[in-house]
Amino acid sequence: MQPYELSLADAARAVAAGELSPVELTDSVLERIESVEARLQAYVTVAAESARKAAARAEQEIARGRLRGPLHGIPMGLKDLIDAAGLPTTASSRVRADHVADGDSAVAARLSAAGAVLLGKTHTHEFAYGLTTPQTRNAHDHSRVAGGSSGGSAVAVAAGEATFALGTDTGGSIRVPAALNGVVGLKPTYGLISRQGVTSLSWSLDHVGPLTRTVRDAELVLAALDGRDRREPGGVSAVPESGDLTGLRVGVPRNYYFERVSPEVEESVRRAIGQLQELGAELVEVEIPMTRYIQAVQWGLMVPEATSYHEGTLRSTPDLYAADVRILLEAGEFVSAGDYLRAQRARTLMRDAWAQMLGRVDVIVAPSVPMTAVESGQDSVRWADGTVEAVSDSYVRLSAPANITGVPALTLPVGRDHAGMPIGMQLMGRPLDEATVLRAGRAYEVAAARSDAGAGQLAPVAA
Amino acid sequence: MDTAGLTPQEAARTALRAGLPLESDRHEAVAATANHIHSVIATLRELDFRDTPPATSFMAVTAVTAVTTGQGDTDAAV
Repeated sequence: MQPYELSLADAARAVAAGELSPVELTDSVLERIESVEARLQAYVTVAAESARKAAARAEQEIARGRLRGPLHGIPMGLKDLIDAAGLPTTASSRVRADHVADGDSAVAARLSAAGAVLLGKTHTHEFAYGLTTPQTRNAHDHSRVAGGSSGGSAVAVAAGEATFALGTDTGGSIRVPAALNGVVGLKPTYGLISRQGVTSLSWSLDHVGPLTRTVRDAELVLAALDGRDRREPGGVSAVPESGDLTGLRVGVPRNYYFERVSPEVEESVRRAIGQLQELGAELVEVEIPMTRYIQAVQWGLMVPEATSYHEGTLRSTPDLYAADVRILLEAGEFVSAGDYLRAQRARTLMRDAWAQMLGRVDVIVAPSVPMTAVESGQDSVRWADGTVEAVSDSYVRLSAPANITGVPALTLPVGRDHAGMPIGMQLMGRPLDEATVLRAGRAYEVAAARSDAGAGQLAPVAA
Repeated sequence: MDTAGLTPQEAARTALRAGLPLESDRHEAVAATANHIHSVIATLRELDFRDTPPATSFMAVTAVTAVTTGQGDTDAAV
Protein backbone atom coordinates (compact mmCIF):
# COMPACT_ATOMS: atom_id res chain seq x y z
CA MET A 1 0.00 0.00 0.00
CA GLN A 2 1.29 3.45 -0.97
CA PRO A 3 1.10 6.32 1.57
CA TYR A 4 -1.47 8.19 -0.56
CA GLU A 5 -3.83 5.24 -0.11
CA LEU A 6 -3.88 5.48 3.69
CA SER A 7 -6.89 6.78 5.56
CA LEU A 8 -6.26 9.78 7.78
CA ALA A 9 -6.41 7.64 10.94
CA ASP A 10 -3.97 5.07 9.54
CA ALA A 11 -1.61 7.77 8.27
CA ALA A 12 -1.75 9.56 11.64
CA ARG A 13 -1.01 6.30 13.45
CA ALA A 14 1.98 5.64 11.17
CA VAL A 15 3.29 9.20 11.59
CA ALA A 16 2.94 9.02 15.38
CA ALA A 17 4.73 5.67 15.43
CA GLY A 18 7.60 7.02 13.36
CA GLU A 19 6.83 4.60 10.53
CA LEU A 20 5.91 7.30 8.03
CA SER A 21 7.17 10.85 7.72
CA PRO A 22 4.94 13.76 6.67
CA VAL A 23 7.38 14.39 3.82
CA GLU A 24 6.99 10.84 2.48
CA LEU A 25 3.22 11.07 2.80
CA THR A 26 2.98 14.50 1.14
CA ASP A 27 5.35 13.49 -1.67
CA SER A 28 3.27 10.38 -2.28
CA VAL A 29 0.02 12.36 -2.51
CA LEU A 30 1.64 15.02 -4.76
CA GLU A 31 2.91 12.27 -7.08
CA ARG A 32 -0.60 10.82 -7.14
CA ILE A 33 -1.94 14.24 -8.10
CA GLU A 34 0.59 14.43 -10.94
CA SER A 35 -0.42 11.05 -12.28
CA VAL A 36 -4.24 11.37 -12.21
CA GLU A 37 -5.07 15.07 -12.11
CA ALA A 38 -5.03 15.60 -15.88
CA ARG A 39 -8.00 13.25 -16.13
CA LEU A 40 -9.90 14.20 -12.96
CA GLN A 41 -9.42 17.98 -12.67
CA ALA A 42 -10.12 18.03 -8.94
CA TYR A 43 -7.88 21.01 -8.22
CA VAL A 44 -7.95 24.67 -9.22
CA THR A 45 -4.53 25.26 -7.65
CA VAL A 46 -1.89 22.82 -6.43
CA ALA A 47 0.63 24.46 -4.11
CA ALA A 48 3.27 21.73 -4.26
CA GLU A 49 6.22 23.79 -3.13
CA SER A 50 4.56 25.26 -0.04
CA ALA A 51 3.07 21.84 0.77
CA ARG A 52 6.54 20.26 0.73
CA LYS A 53 7.85 23.01 3.00
CA ALA A 54 4.96 22.56 5.43
CA ALA A 55 5.54 18.81 5.46
CA ALA A 56 9.23 19.34 6.19
CA ARG A 57 8.34 21.65 9.10
CA ALA A 58 5.93 19.06 10.46
CA GLU A 59 8.57 16.37 10.16
CA GLN A 60 11.09 18.47 12.10
CA GLU A 61 8.57 19.27 14.84
CA ILE A 62 7.53 15.65 15.23
CA ALA A 63 11.18 14.56 15.28
CA ARG A 64 11.67 16.96 18.21
CA GLY A 65 8.83 15.23 20.04
CA ARG A 66 6.23 17.91 19.37
CA LEU A 67 3.39 15.97 17.75
CA ARG A 68 0.40 18.32 17.68
CA GLY A 69 -2.25 15.67 17.10
CA PRO A 70 -3.65 13.33 14.44
CA LEU A 71 -3.70 15.94 11.67
CA HIS A 72 -0.05 16.89 12.08
CA GLY A 73 1.71 16.36 8.75
CA ILE A 74 -1.45 15.14 6.96
CA PRO A 75 -1.95 16.55 3.43
CA MET A 76 -5.35 17.99 2.62
CA GLY A 77 -7.28 20.11 0.13
CA LEU A 78 -9.61 23.07 0.67
CA LYS A 79 -12.62 23.81 -1.50
CA ASP A 80 -11.83 26.95 -3.42
CA LEU A 81 -14.38 29.01 -1.51
CA ILE A 82 -12.27 28.77 1.63
CA ASP A 83 -9.60 31.43 2.11
CA ALA A 84 -6.02 30.36 2.66
CA ALA A 85 -3.53 33.20 3.06
CA GLY A 86 -1.60 34.03 -0.09
CA LEU A 87 -3.58 31.77 -2.40
CA PRO A 88 -6.38 32.79 -4.77
CA THR A 89 -9.94 31.95 -3.73
CA THR A 90 -11.36 31.68 -7.23
CA ALA A 91 -14.71 30.03 -6.39
CA SER A 92 -14.00 28.34 -9.75
CA SER A 93 -15.17 31.55 -11.39
CA ARG A 94 -13.72 34.06 -13.83
CA VAL A 95 -15.27 36.71 -11.60
CA ARG A 96 -12.55 35.96 -9.05
CA ALA A 97 -9.66 35.59 -11.51
CA ASP A 98 -7.49 38.17 -9.77
CA HIS A 99 -8.39 37.34 -6.18
CA VAL A 100 -5.76 36.56 -3.55
CA ALA A 101 -6.76 35.85 0.05
CA ASP A 102 -5.03 38.19 2.46
CA GLY A 103 -5.53 35.87 5.40
CA ASP A 104 -6.60 32.43 6.49
CA SER A 105 -10.26 31.58 6.99
CA ALA A 106 -11.07 30.37 10.50
CA VAL A 107 -11.09 26.73 9.35
CA ALA A 108 -7.82 27.06 7.44
CA ALA A 109 -6.28 28.58 10.57
CA ARG A 110 -7.59 25.70 12.69
CA LEU A 111 -6.17 23.11 10.32
CA SER A 112 -2.88 24.97 10.12
CA ALA A 113 -2.69 25.06 13.92
CA ALA A 114 -3.35 21.31 13.95
CA GLY A 115 -0.33 20.88 11.64
CA ALA A 116 -2.21 19.80 8.50
CA VAL A 117 -0.42 20.31 5.18
CA LEU A 118 -2.33 22.34 2.57
CA LEU A 119 -1.96 20.76 -0.89
CA GLY A 120 -4.12 23.23 -2.76
CA LYS A 121 -7.61 24.43 -3.59
CA THR A 122 -10.24 22.12 -5.04
CA HIS A 123 -12.87 22.86 -7.68
CA THR A 124 -16.40 23.91 -6.84
CA HIS A 125 -19.43 24.39 -9.02
CA GLU A 126 -19.09 28.12 -9.71
CA PHE A 127 -19.69 29.97 -6.41
CA ALA A 128 -21.21 26.71 -5.08
CA TYR A 129 -24.40 27.44 -7.05
CA GLY A 130 -24.91 24.01 -8.61
CA LEU A 131 -24.80 20.28 -8.02
CA THR A 132 -22.43 18.92 -10.68
CA THR A 133 -19.03 20.72 -10.70
CA PRO A 134 -18.67 20.46 -14.49
CA GLN A 135 -14.87 21.04 -14.51
CA THR A 136 -14.26 17.87 -12.49
CA ARG A 137 -14.84 14.21 -13.39
CA ASN A 138 -16.24 11.48 -11.20
CA ALA A 139 -13.44 9.42 -9.67
CA HIS A 140 -15.16 6.12 -10.53
CA ASP A 141 -16.26 6.88 -14.09
CA HIS A 142 -14.82 9.89 -15.86
CA SER A 143 -17.85 10.22 -18.12
CA ARG A 144 -20.10 10.92 -15.13
CA VAL A 145 -20.61 14.00 -12.97
CA ALA A 146 -18.50 14.56 -9.88
CA GLY A 147 -21.48 15.96 -8.02
CA GLY A 148 -21.34 19.29 -6.33
CA SER A 149 -20.74 21.75 -5.37
CA SER A 150 -17.74 20.35 -3.45
CA GLY A 151 -16.93 18.08 -6.41
CA GLY A 152 -13.19 18.70 -6.39
CA SER A 153 -12.86 17.87 -2.69
CA ALA A 154 -14.84 14.62 -3.07
CA VAL A 155 -12.91 13.47 -6.14
CA ALA A 156 -9.55 14.38 -4.58
CA VAL A 157 -10.30 12.28 -1.49
CA ALA A 158 -11.78 9.42 -3.52
CA ALA A 159 -8.79 9.23 -5.88
CA GLY A 160 -5.97 9.60 -3.35
CA GLU A 161 -5.23 13.21 -4.34
CA ALA A 162 -5.75 14.31 -0.72
CA THR A 163 -5.92 12.40 2.55
CA PHE A 164 -8.90 14.57 3.48
CA ALA A 165 -10.55 17.76 2.30
CA LEU A 166 -12.99 20.44 3.37
CA GLY A 167 -16.14 21.39 1.52
CA THR A 168 -19.20 23.54 2.05
CA ASP A 169 -22.84 22.46 2.07
CA THR A 170 -25.80 24.77 1.40
CA GLY A 171 -28.27 22.22 0.04
CA GLY A 172 -26.15 19.07 -0.03
CA SER A 173 -22.86 20.27 -1.48
CA ILE A 174 -20.71 18.11 0.81
CA ARG A 175 -23.01 15.07 0.92
CA VAL A 176 -23.95 14.90 -2.76
CA PRO A 177 -20.42 14.66 -4.22
CA ALA A 178 -19.28 12.50 -1.29
CA ALA A 179 -22.07 10.02 -2.03
CA LEU A 180 -21.47 10.07 -5.80
CA ASN A 181 -17.74 9.37 -5.34
CA GLY A 182 -17.95 6.81 -2.54
CA VAL A 183 -16.47 8.83 0.31
CA VAL A 184 -17.69 10.10 3.67
CA GLY A 185 -19.02 13.64 4.04
CA LEU A 186 -20.20 15.42 7.17
CA LYS A 187 -22.36 18.54 7.30
CA PRO A 188 -22.12 19.54 10.95
CA THR A 189 -24.80 21.41 12.89
CA TYR A 190 -25.46 24.90 11.52
CA GLY A 191 -23.14 27.35 13.24
CA LEU A 192 -20.87 24.76 14.87
CA ILE A 193 -17.99 25.48 12.50
CA SER A 194 -17.02 29.07 11.73
CA ARG A 195 -17.70 30.34 8.22
CA GLN A 196 -15.42 33.34 8.63
CA GLY A 197 -13.31 33.67 5.48
CA VAL A 198 -15.53 31.32 3.46
CA THR A 199 -17.26 32.70 0.35
CA SER A 200 -20.98 32.49 0.94
CA LEU A 201 -23.70 31.11 -1.27
CA SER A 202 -26.49 31.58 1.28
CA TRP A 203 -25.61 32.79 4.76
CA SER A 204 -28.48 31.10 6.53
CA LEU A 205 -27.90 27.70 4.89
CA ASP A 206 -24.09 27.48 4.46
CA HIS A 207 -22.05 24.95 6.44
CA VAL A 208 -18.37 23.93 6.34
CA GLY A 209 -17.37 20.32 6.91
CA PRO A 210 -14.99 17.46 6.11
CA LEU A 211 -14.84 14.93 3.26
CA THR A 212 -12.88 11.85 4.21
CA ARG A 213 -12.47 8.16 3.38
CA THR A 214 -13.90 6.89 6.67
CA VAL A 215 -16.29 8.02 9.39
CA ARG A 216 -13.43 7.80 11.86
CA ASP A 217 -11.47 10.28 9.72
CA ALA A 218 -14.43 12.69 9.66
CA GLU A 219 -14.50 12.60 13.43
CA LEU A 220 -10.80 13.49 13.58
CA VAL A 221 -11.20 16.47 11.24
CA LEU A 222 -14.33 17.69 13.01
CA ALA A 223 -12.46 17.66 16.30
CA ALA A 224 -9.80 19.95 14.84
CA LEU A 225 -12.41 22.27 13.30
CA ASP A 226 -14.55 22.70 16.40
CA GLY A 227 -11.59 22.93 18.73
CA ARG A 228 -12.09 19.73 20.73
CA ASP A 229 -8.55 18.67 19.92
CA ARG A 230 -7.35 21.75 21.80
CA ARG A 231 -9.66 21.27 24.76
CA GLU A 232 -8.72 17.61 25.05
CA PRO A 233 -4.95 17.53 24.49
CA GLY A 234 -3.54 14.11 23.98
CA GLY A 235 -6.43 12.68 22.11
CA VAL A 236 -9.88 13.06 20.71
CA SER A 237 -12.30 10.64 22.26
CA ALA A 238 -12.63 7.80 19.79
CA VAL A 239 -15.95 6.32 18.75
CA PRO A 240 -16.10 2.87 20.35
CA GLU A 241 -14.86 0.21 17.94
CA SER A 242 -17.25 -2.40 19.32
CA GLY A 243 -20.10 -1.03 17.23
CA ASP A 244 -22.81 -2.08 19.65
CA LEU A 245 -25.84 0.09 18.90
CA THR A 246 -28.11 -1.36 21.56
CA GLY A 247 -30.53 1.31 22.74
CA LEU A 248 -30.07 3.54 19.69
CA ARG A 249 -33.43 4.53 18.17
CA VAL A 250 -33.10 4.84 14.41
CA GLY A 251 -35.90 6.66 12.61
CA VAL A 252 -36.81 5.16 9.24
CA PRO A 253 -38.91 7.59 7.16
CA ARG A 254 -42.18 6.24 5.84
CA ASN A 255 -42.52 9.21 3.49
CA TYR A 256 -40.34 11.47 1.33
CA TYR A 257 -36.87 9.92 1.59
CA PHE A 258 -37.66 6.72 -0.29
CA GLU A 259 -39.96 8.34 -2.87
CA ARG A 260 -38.57 8.78 -6.39
CA VAL A 261 -35.41 6.90 -5.44
CA SER A 262 -33.75 4.40 -7.78
CA PRO A 263 -34.41 0.75 -6.80
CA GLU A 264 -30.70 0.03 -6.43
CA VAL A 265 -30.20 2.96 -4.05
CA GLU A 266 -33.22 1.94 -1.97
CA GLU A 267 -32.08 -1.69 -1.82
CA SER A 268 -28.57 -0.79 -0.64
CA VAL A 269 -29.77 1.69 1.97
CA ARG A 270 -32.44 -0.68 3.34
CA ARG A 271 -29.80 -3.41 3.56
CA ALA A 272 -27.57 -1.04 5.52
CA ILE A 273 -30.51 -0.16 7.79
CA GLY A 274 -30.89 -3.89 8.44
CA GLN A 275 -27.23 -3.94 9.40
CA LEU A 276 -27.83 -1.18 11.96
CA GLN A 277 -30.66 -3.28 13.40
CA GLU A 278 -28.35 -6.32 13.60
CA LEU A 279 -25.94 -4.14 15.58
CA GLY A 280 -28.65 -3.57 18.17
CA ALA A 281 -30.44 -0.46 16.96
CA GLU A 282 -34.20 -0.21 17.35
CA LEU A 283 -35.91 0.81 14.11
CA VAL A 284 -38.76 3.31 14.52
CA GLU A 285 -40.95 4.41 11.63
CA VAL A 286 -41.16 8.22 11.40
CA GLU A 287 -43.23 10.68 9.37
CA ILE A 288 -41.13 13.49 7.90
CA PRO A 289 -43.05 16.74 8.49
CA MET A 290 -43.86 19.53 6.02
CA THR A 291 -42.27 17.82 3.04
CA ARG A 292 -44.45 19.78 0.61
CA TYR A 293 -42.57 22.94 1.59
CA ILE A 294 -38.94 21.76 1.59
CA GLN A 295 -38.01 23.00 -1.88
CA ALA A 296 -39.96 26.23 -1.37
CA VAL A 297 -38.10 27.03 1.86
CA GLN A 298 -34.73 26.08 0.37
CA TRP A 299 -35.26 28.29 -2.67
CA GLY A 300 -36.97 31.06 -0.71
CA LEU A 301 -33.85 31.41 1.44
CA MET A 302 -31.04 30.53 -0.96
CA VAL A 303 -32.10 32.36 -4.13
CA PRO A 304 -32.43 35.90 -2.69
CA GLU A 305 -29.44 35.49 -0.36
CA ALA A 306 -27.20 34.40 -3.27
CA THR A 307 -28.40 37.29 -5.41
CA SER A 308 -27.73 39.69 -2.55
CA TYR A 309 -24.18 38.38 -2.08
CA HIS A 310 -23.43 38.90 -5.79
CA GLU A 311 -25.22 42.25 -6.12
CA GLY A 312 -22.10 44.22 -7.01
CA THR A 313 -20.39 41.85 -9.45
CA LEU A 314 -23.67 40.90 -11.15
CA ARG A 315 -23.87 44.53 -12.19
CA SER A 316 -20.18 45.21 -12.87
CA THR A 317 -19.06 41.95 -14.57
CA PRO A 318 -22.15 39.86 -15.45
CA ASP A 319 -20.49 38.31 -18.51
CA LEU A 320 -17.86 36.63 -16.34
CA TYR A 321 -20.40 34.29 -14.70
CA ALA A 322 -21.24 30.91 -16.24
CA ALA A 323 -24.65 31.01 -17.93
CA ASP A 324 -26.40 28.69 -15.45
CA VAL A 325 -25.27 30.71 -12.43
CA ARG A 326 -25.84 34.13 -13.98
CA ILE A 327 -29.48 33.50 -14.80
CA LEU A 328 -30.23 32.24 -11.28
CA LEU A 329 -28.60 35.31 -9.79
CA GLU A 330 -30.55 37.60 -12.11
CA ALA A 331 -33.87 35.86 -11.47
CA GLY A 332 -33.21 36.13 -7.74
CA GLU A 333 -33.82 39.89 -8.03
CA PHE A 334 -37.54 39.12 -8.37
CA VAL A 335 -37.96 37.34 -5.04
CA SER A 336 -39.78 39.74 -2.74
CA ALA A 337 -39.10 40.49 0.91
CA GLY A 338 -42.47 38.88 1.63
CA ASP A 339 -41.38 35.67 -0.11
CA TYR A 340 -38.15 35.64 1.87
CA LEU A 341 -39.88 36.20 5.21
CA ARG A 342 -42.40 33.47 4.46
CA ALA A 343 -39.46 31.12 3.86
CA GLN A 344 -37.87 32.16 7.14
CA ARG A 345 -41.14 31.69 9.04
CA ALA A 346 -41.75 28.32 7.40
CA ARG A 347 -38.22 27.39 8.45
CA THR A 348 -39.15 28.07 12.06
CA LEU A 349 -42.14 25.73 11.72
CA MET A 350 -40.01 23.06 10.05
CA ARG A 351 -37.24 23.28 12.63
CA ASP A 352 -39.77 22.88 15.44
CA ALA A 353 -41.47 19.93 13.73
CA TRP A 354 -38.12 18.21 13.23
CA ALA A 355 -37.22 18.81 16.88
CA GLN A 356 -40.41 16.99 17.87
CA MET A 357 -39.60 14.12 15.53
CA LEU A 358 -36.04 13.92 16.88
CA GLY A 359 -37.45 13.73 20.39
CA ARG A 360 -38.65 10.20 19.56
CA VAL A 361 -35.54 8.92 17.76
CA ASP A 362 -31.79 9.45 18.06
CA VAL A 363 -30.96 9.47 14.36
CA ILE A 364 -32.84 9.39 11.08
CA VAL A 365 -31.54 7.20 8.29
CA ALA A 366 -32.17 7.76 4.59
CA PRO A 367 -30.54 7.69 1.16
CA SER A 368 -28.14 10.60 0.63
CA VAL A 369 -29.13 11.10 -3.01
CA PRO A 370 -31.93 9.44 -5.01
CA MET A 371 -29.62 8.10 -7.73
CA THR A 372 -25.96 7.48 -8.43
CA ALA A 373 -23.80 9.77 -10.60
CA VAL A 374 -25.42 10.55 -13.96
CA GLU A 375 -23.60 11.02 -17.24
CA SER A 376 -22.14 14.50 -17.73
CA GLY A 377 -24.59 16.63 -19.68
CA GLN A 378 -27.70 14.76 -18.54
CA ASP A 379 -30.20 17.41 -17.46
CA SER A 380 -33.18 15.45 -16.19
CA VAL A 381 -34.26 12.10 -14.82
CA ARG A 382 -37.56 10.28 -15.40
CA TRP A 383 -38.91 8.39 -12.40
CA ALA A 384 -41.06 5.26 -12.30
CA ASP A 385 -44.16 7.34 -11.47
CA GLY A 386 -43.74 9.15 -14.79
CA THR A 387 -42.51 12.44 -13.34
CA VAL A 388 -39.48 14.16 -14.82
CA GLU A 389 -37.12 15.99 -12.48
CA ALA A 390 -34.09 18.20 -13.12
CA VAL A 391 -30.89 16.40 -12.11
CA SER A 392 -29.93 19.27 -9.80
CA ASP A 393 -33.36 19.21 -8.10
CA SER A 394 -33.03 15.47 -7.65
CA TYR A 395 -29.59 15.64 -6.07
CA VAL A 396 -30.57 18.38 -3.62
CA ARG A 397 -33.96 16.89 -2.67
CA LEU A 398 -32.86 14.56 0.12
CA SER A 399 -30.09 16.81 1.44
CA ALA A 400 -31.93 20.12 1.80
CA PRO A 401 -33.95 19.26 4.94
CA ALA A 402 -30.77 19.12 7.03
CA ASN A 403 -29.67 22.52 5.71
CA ILE A 404 -33.04 24.08 6.50
CA THR A 405 -33.29 22.56 9.98
CA GLY A 406 -29.55 22.83 10.70
CA VAL A 407 -29.26 19.27 11.99
CA PRO A 408 -25.98 17.34 11.54
CA ALA A 409 -25.99 15.01 8.54
CA LEU A 410 -23.44 12.39 7.54
CA THR A 411 -23.16 10.43 4.30
CA LEU A 412 -21.20 7.21 4.05
CA PRO A 413 -20.86 4.62 1.29
CA VAL A 414 -23.08 1.55 1.62
CA GLY A 415 -22.91 -0.14 -1.77
CA ARG A 416 -22.61 0.11 -5.54
CA ASP A 417 -25.10 0.02 -8.39
CA HIS A 418 -24.93 -2.33 -11.41
CA ALA A 419 -22.36 -0.04 -13.06
CA GLY A 420 -20.15 0.03 -9.98
CA MET A 421 -21.13 3.56 -9.00
CA PRO A 422 -21.18 4.32 -5.25
CA ILE A 423 -24.38 4.62 -3.19
CA GLY A 424 -24.51 6.77 -0.05
CA MET A 425 -26.57 6.50 3.13
CA GLN A 426 -27.42 9.58 5.16
CA LEU A 427 -27.59 9.74 8.95
CA MET A 428 -29.13 12.83 10.57
CA GLY A 429 -29.26 13.63 14.28
CA ARG A 430 -30.21 16.25 16.80
CA PRO A 431 -28.52 19.65 16.64
CA LEU A 432 -25.00 19.48 18.13
CA ASP A 433 -25.27 15.70 18.52
CA GLU A 434 -22.64 14.87 15.91
CA ALA A 435 -21.33 12.22 18.32
CA THR A 436 -24.40 10.01 17.91
CA VAL A 437 -24.48 10.40 14.14
CA LEU A 438 -20.79 9.50 13.94
CA ARG A 439 -21.23 6.59 16.36
CA ALA A 440 -23.94 5.04 14.18
CA GLY A 441 -21.95 5.63 11.01
CA ARG A 442 -18.78 4.22 12.50
CA ALA A 443 -20.58 1.12 13.78
CA TYR A 444 -21.91 0.44 10.28
CA GLU A 445 -18.51 1.09 8.75
CA VAL A 446 -16.72 -1.33 11.08
CA ALA A 447 -19.37 -4.03 10.57
CA ALA A 448 -19.29 -3.59 6.79
CA ALA A 449 -15.50 -3.80 6.80
CA ARG A 450 -15.79 -7.31 8.21
CA SER A 451 -18.12 -8.43 5.44
CA ASP A 452 -16.61 -6.83 2.34
CA ALA A 453 -13.64 -4.86 1.10
CA GLY A 454 -14.31 -2.25 3.77
CA ALA A 455 -14.32 1.50 4.13
CA GLY A 456 -11.62 3.80 2.96
CA GLN A 457 -10.83 2.17 -0.37
CA LEU A 458 -9.78 4.46 -3.18
CA ALA A 459 -11.64 4.78 -6.44
CA PRO A 460 -10.01 2.58 -9.10
CA VAL A 461 -8.21 5.35 -10.99
CA ALA A 462 -5.21 4.00 -12.88
CA ALA A 463 -2.00 5.97 -12.37
CA MET B 1 -45.25 42.67 -6.09
CA ASP B 2 -46.64 39.43 -7.46
CA THR B 3 -44.36 38.04 -10.17
CA ALA B 4 -46.80 35.35 -11.32
CA GLY B 5 -46.91 35.41 -15.08
CA LEU B 6 -44.17 38.02 -15.33
CA THR B 7 -43.71 38.98 -18.99
CA PRO B 8 -40.27 39.64 -20.49
CA GLN B 9 -41.07 43.34 -20.61
CA GLU B 10 -42.15 43.38 -16.97
CA ALA B 11 -38.99 41.47 -16.05
CA ALA B 12 -36.84 44.07 -17.78
CA ARG B 13 -38.66 46.94 -16.05
CA THR B 14 -38.54 45.32 -12.62
CA ALA B 15 -34.86 44.45 -12.98
CA LEU B 16 -34.09 48.01 -13.99
CA ARG B 17 -35.94 49.23 -10.92
CA ALA B 18 -33.63 46.98 -8.88
CA GLY B 19 -30.63 48.60 -10.56
CA LEU B 20 -29.94 45.68 -12.88
CA PRO B 21 -30.21 46.64 -16.55
CA LEU B 22 -30.86 43.49 -18.58
CA GLU B 23 -29.88 43.27 -22.23
CA SER B 24 -32.90 42.65 -24.44
CA ASP B 25 -31.83 39.13 -25.38
CA ARG B 26 -32.03 38.12 -21.70
CA HIS B 27 -35.55 39.35 -20.92
CA GLU B 28 -37.38 36.19 -21.93
CA ALA B 29 -35.04 33.68 -20.25
CA VAL B 30 -34.83 35.69 -17.01
CA ALA B 31 -38.62 36.06 -16.89
CA ALA B 32 -39.06 32.31 -17.40
CA THR B 33 -36.59 31.46 -14.63
CA ALA B 34 -38.14 34.02 -12.28
CA ASN B 35 -41.60 32.60 -12.96
CA HIS B 36 -40.38 29.08 -12.23
CA ILE B 37 -38.79 30.17 -8.94
CA HIS B 38 -41.99 32.00 -8.04
CA SER B 39 -44.11 28.92 -8.73
CA VAL B 40 -42.00 26.93 -6.25
CA ILE B 41 -41.82 29.59 -3.54
CA ALA B 42 -45.50 30.56 -3.80
CA THR B 43 -46.42 27.24 -2.16
CA LEU B 44 -45.53 28.85 1.17
CA ARG B 45 -48.63 31.06 0.91
CA GLU B 46 -50.68 28.01 1.86
CA LEU B 47 -49.26 28.05 5.39
CA ASP B 48 -51.01 29.67 8.34
CA PHE B 49 -48.11 31.25 10.22
CA ARG B 50 -50.12 32.86 13.05
CA ASP B 51 -47.45 34.29 15.40
CA THR B 52 -44.52 32.33 14.00
CA PRO B 53 -41.44 34.58 13.77
CA PRO B 54 -38.82 34.30 11.04
CA ALA B 55 -35.91 31.97 11.77
CA THR B 56 -33.39 34.75 11.23
CA SER B 57 -31.48 35.56 14.35
CA PHE B 58 -30.12 38.83 15.58
CA MET B 59 -27.28 38.81 18.06
CA ALA B 60 -26.74 41.96 20.05
CA VAL B 61 -23.39 40.57 21.12
CA THR B 62 -20.91 41.27 18.33
CA ALA B 63 -17.91 39.16 17.43
CA VAL B 64 -15.66 41.81 18.98
CA THR B 65 -17.50 41.53 22.29
CA ALA B 66 -17.37 37.74 22.10
CA VAL B 67 -13.62 37.84 21.63
CA THR B 68 -13.14 40.13 24.62
CA THR B 69 -15.27 37.86 26.79
CA GLY B 70 -13.59 34.69 25.55
CA GLN B 71 -16.74 33.30 23.99
CA GLY B 72 -16.56 30.91 21.07
CA ASP B 73 -16.07 31.93 17.47
CA THR B 74 -18.93 29.97 16.02
CA ASP B 75 -21.70 31.68 14.11
CA ALA B 76 -25.19 32.41 15.20
CA ALA B 77 -27.48 29.45 15.62
CA VAL B 78 -30.49 29.01 13.39
